[in-house]
Amino acid sequence: MTELSNNYFVCVAEIAAKLDQATRIAQQLSLTASNARAVALRAGERAAGFRPLTDFIDRLAEITIKSSRSINLLAATLSQTSADKVRADSAIEHFNIVFIKAKDSQFIGSLDEVYLRCQTKQQQLEKSYKRQIDRLSDELIMLSNELRNAVILATLSRVEASQAGIEYQDALINVANNVEGAASKIKEHINYSQQMVSTLEEY
Amino acid sequence: MKTHKLFENKSHTWLMFGRDDEKPNEIIDTNQYIVITHKNALLMDPGGIELFSSMLAAVIKQLPADKITHLFASHQDPDIISSLGLWDQALPSATLHSPWIWESFIRHFGMHNISYSAIPDEGSTLKIDQVSLDFIPAHYLHSSGNFNVYDAEAKILMSGDIGAALESVEAPLFVEDFDEHIAKMKMFHQRWMPSNEAKNYWVRRVRKLDIDMMCPQHGRIFKGDDVKRFLDWFEALEVGIISKAAADV
Repeated sequence: MTELSNNYFVCVAEIAAKLDQATRIAQQLSLTASNARAVALRAGERAAGFRPLTDFIDRLAEITIKSSRSINLLAATLSQTSADKVRADSAIEHFNIVFIKAKDSQFIGSLDEVYLRCQTKQQQLEKSYKRQIDRLSDELIMLSNELRNAVILATLSRVEASQAGIEYQDALINVANNVEGAASKIKEHINYSQQMVSTLEEY
Repeated sequence: MKTHKLFENKSHTWLMFGRDDEKPNEIIDTNQYIVITHKNALLMDPGGIELFSSMLAAVIKQLPADKITHLFASHQDPDIISSLGLWDQALPSATLHSPWIWESFIRHFGMHNISYSAIPDEGSTLKIDQVSLDFIPAHYLHSSGNFNVYDAEAKILMSGDIGAALESVEAPLFVEDFDEHIAKMKMFHQRWMPSNEAKNYWVRRVRKLDIDMMCPQHGRIFKGDDVKRFLDWFEALEVGIISKAAADV
């Protein structure tokens, strides 16, 4: 196996691993939304403005989980395509050696059809590979855009927390911090995955 | 890779491929065999992925690729059949004959086009054109599902790892001095073959066959009286010795 193929296998695996971590953080975010809802209920009227925000936190968690899973699935498909591509590339490399070693053989032409078929398959895999990379890139951009809302959500949460009175203020500010922290960590994973995708695009 | 004709008559030809001086030093040298009939061919223990290009180049000098309609893998080892994923691209319409117990393992080498014909434990016969080839059980010698190929007309037994010797690529093709050859194959048989019972069962069975040439997958070919010498030596040899040695530690 070549160094190049090793690299893109590793890249795809790393993207899948990063997205898996993002899913876990998003699951924690969902838990944060449930806690926030409970605190807001206890705070009653003073936290009335906070309650709708918990729905947004929930939605953000849901979108992140859904999107991460979909990207993970895409990464798995890409991994399979990479494996098939390596196999097709390897077959072509081996056949090229045969064409050199047996160039004078009267039967060398019997490999032409096989070679052509392998080349066609290699080209198809190349196209699929590029298409899947593009899709992966688009999905990551979409998720990244969704996460921008987290900053706004955290700011609004802090404003609403300040209205909730001393008793509940700390708990609700903690919720805002959790949202911001989770979104920031997920964003880190997304950024890393986007860098990996750029590397894959070069292959 | 060298090519050597072992047998030829009106119906078929046996060729041996091996002694590949271009192979990486770290991998064991292997012998590959092919039976070519009028319209078809059976390639036996086609070898590892590292040998594929040399092997196909050697084969293509003898016959067109699409004439190889059958492959045989005596067992599941990488030096026997790890090239399957590439043969699968080269010979998409071929059939692979191999022990039934290894089917789901061998498919890990990559098999999307070739068909798998599972050989039952008791063995079977393959008829290609007018030639009959028997898959003779050789279980536990060394693999737990293992077959030899016997051609009664050519009086050739392709014996897989039985009779194998660890030698350099410069070694002669045939055993010249049996007593001298013992040192090259003793450890291989004692360490790789696990069962005295299975070994003796195989020896009894093979003694009933009429054999002019016994062709292992590594090392040299046994001819004439050396076949009987091998059977006598192998019958007397204690195998699976490492289990006792390890237990005594």
